Amino acid sequence: MSTGPYNQARQAVRDALAHRKPSHVPIDFGSTAVTGIHVSVVAALREYYGLEIRPVKICEPYQMLGLIEDDLAKAINIDTKAVFTPKTIFGFPLENWKPWQMPDGLEVLVPGDFNTTVDSNGDFLIYPQGDTSVPASGRMPKGGYFFDAIVRQPPINEEQLNWEDNTEEFQPISNQDLLAMRVAVDQASTTGRALVLSLPNMYLGDIALVPAPFLKHPKGIRDIAEWYMSLRARPDYIHKIFERETAVALTNLEKIHAAIGNNVEAVFTCGTDFGTQTSSFCSVQTFRTLWLPYYKAMNDWIHQHTTWRVLKHSCGAVEKFIDSFIEAGFDILNPVQCSATGMDPKLLKAKYGDRITFWGGGVDTQKTLPFGTPQEVHDQVLHRCEIFSRQGGFVFTTIHNVQARTPLKNFVALLDAVREFNGATNGRPEPTL
Amino acid sequence: MADLNQLYDAILNGDHKTAVTVTRQALTEGTAPIELITNYMSPAMDEVGRRFECEEYFVPELLLSGRAMKAALALLQPLLAASGAEPAGRIVIGTVKGDLHDIGKNLVASMLEGGGFEVHDLGADVAPEKFVGAVREHKPDLVCLSALLTVTMPGMRDVVEALKMAGLRDQVRVMVGGAPVTAEFANEIGADGYAENAGVAVTVARRLTRKNHAMDEAKG
Ligand code: B12
Repeated sequence: MSTGPYNQARQAVRDALAHRKPSHVPIDFGSTAVTGIHVSVVAALREYYGLEIRPVKICEPYQMLGLIEDDLAKAINIDTKAVFTPKTIFGFPLENWKPWQMPDGLEVLVPGDFNTTVDSNGDFLIYPQGDTSVPASGRMPKGGYFFDAIVRQPPINEEQLNWEDNTEEFQPISNQDLLAMRVAVDQASTTGRALVLSLPNMYLGDIALVPAPFLKHPKGIRDIAEWYMSLRARPDYIHKIFERETAVALTNLEKIHAAIGNNVEAVFTCGTDFGTQTSSFCSVQTFRTLWLPYYKAMNDWIHQHTTWRVLKHSCGAVEKFIDSFIEAGFDILNPVQCSATGMDPKLLKAKYGDRITFWGGGVDTQKTLPFGTPQEVHDQVLHRCEIFSRQGGFVFTTIHNVQARTPLKNFVALLDAVREFNGATNGRPEPTL
Repeated sequence: MADLNQLYDAILNGDHKTAVTVTRQALTEGTAPIELITNYMSPAMDEVGRRFECEEYFVPELLLSGRAMKAALALLQPLLAASGAEPAGRIVIGTVKGDLHDIGKNLVASMLEGGGFEVHDLGADVAPEKFVGAVREHKPDLVCLSALLTVTMPGMRDVVEALKMAGLRDQVRVMVGGAPVTAEFANEIGADGYAENAGVAVTVARRLTRKNHAMDEAKG
């Protein structure tokens, strides 16, 4: 398995993360739920590269990301390998695959507990832990490409608010899940690629998870607007939740490390978005008082006991937050949304490039990738590689998941451009199909 | 006597309980609803918008102020309706089909309400037919469309086209916005206006709905 360019894959990522110049710019697609590819594009890529035509597995049922199997990973030179959380966002494991049809007719494979019904609107509804006897927790609009969480917030009674209601999901990891993680890590290791492990329940208020699509009867504050208001209006309540989440995380980290050791290059712990297109969801000061101490406690534990590097995902305009992210112990920033205010690639690399790894920023996904020409994609990818790759500290991927309807020729232009960049710098061989 | 500056402060600070108490007291003392709106509530929301633009306020603060304003407004609405007072304009707003991002749209909706508009919020993932239906039902001056995804931006053009097909396009103005949307794109799809944030949205809405302007005036 680890022949050809592959014996370099894991090392290239390790070098990049250590801010040493790697043999080539490593590429990630599919290692996390924020660096994935929509199932429709995965299917199209399989066909384009002449791989066996078979229904693609859904490895992330909320955004409907397609599993990138080893044959495709090889065809497109991917240097990373995912180890997903034991359960998906809808609370069921990735097992017992069964066929399912996307609204546009594409045949895919979904986990056995991916149970859906169709409502009067023609929308698909999906259920927490696959249990169709409780209210649905996700909806895919008719003709849509992915699910969105359904808010099941009972009316709030201010006097009876109890922060513990918001902590039902933060539980000690089960031995069964630990074993599953260990098996997954062992299997993934055989690919010779760098492993990225997604860790559950260490995110502190990720807005996608606040509605708790995985819980059958979520209690507490589960509405998006109410949550955001609470950050300002009920900071004590939020602190209590974060304290509990952190305490549970610290004991889980110990168990997980005991189970898998240092066999992964990076861990993805937190997808809480702090940026918007032109601004942020809170001030840097609020981040420093409300979030930083908790993130730091978790990241400090990781750095003291493991060799893992920690990946922080935050969309949007977060340039002002990067110093605080670094102080909180994050080693990697994703998706590096260069199209947002203040996120200029040159400035980011110059100001923070030796202290944090940029895992993303490879191409703009708001304009260039979906709407540009292949030439424009090619040129931008080369340009970004030139800026970000100096002295390591860069793993190439698009800015967030590759969306449905991304023109295939643009995505191929992107892959060719990275290959060209890598070929030009170190003569990395063409992949053998 | 109700201290009406407290109403201004309550909205600015997102304190909906005080906003309601002061409004209720003011009404029992006979203060005209329209005075509360023009002199206290709208100016407070204008200030909220200003603070948001210069990053003193963020999403949480805007949501809190919006809620305080709405709570006070709910007490005034029956009185306004009874007195036949006209809102600054009628607006139908929604996030387009396939898109479930609604944080920005909600902020825009509440700033518009704070600006004295009557706002009908259709929610997220709204199909073109629903916009057409809502235009027939509410007869708005302005239709506001939000999109956060590049895959759903074309849905804005679909709404403009659907309004044309239904013969309603010349009866309403269309304003668009959302992270990936630009003035250029707005122009391209034949929308009448664009705003990059919730504060500016109110200014543009005021311009687009100015009552005395003939609807066939030059676009812009
Ligand atoms: C929060 C968020 C979410 C939340 C949404 C929660 C909710 N209920 O809204 C969650 C986590 C669920 C989510 C999910 C997804 N998201 Co999202 N999300 C964001 C994020 C981080 C912030 C958006 C936001 O709320 N901003 C705060 C508000 C206040 O700002 P705003 O929306 O821009 O609105 C302001 C202005 O634009 C304007 N405005 C807005 N609407 C209107 C309307 C009118 C008429 C006017 C005049 C003005 C106006 O005024 C507002 C206030 O000032 C953005 C990042 C970004 N750069 O924007 C990504 C982003 C929009 N998401 C993105 C994606 C891709 C997704 C997903 C598809 C998942 C995925 N990654 O594959 C899913 C799908 C969701 C769905 N089913 O529709 C991408 C879109 C990229 C693209 N190619 O289009 C972005 C840009 C992230 C990225 N870096 O790529 N997301």
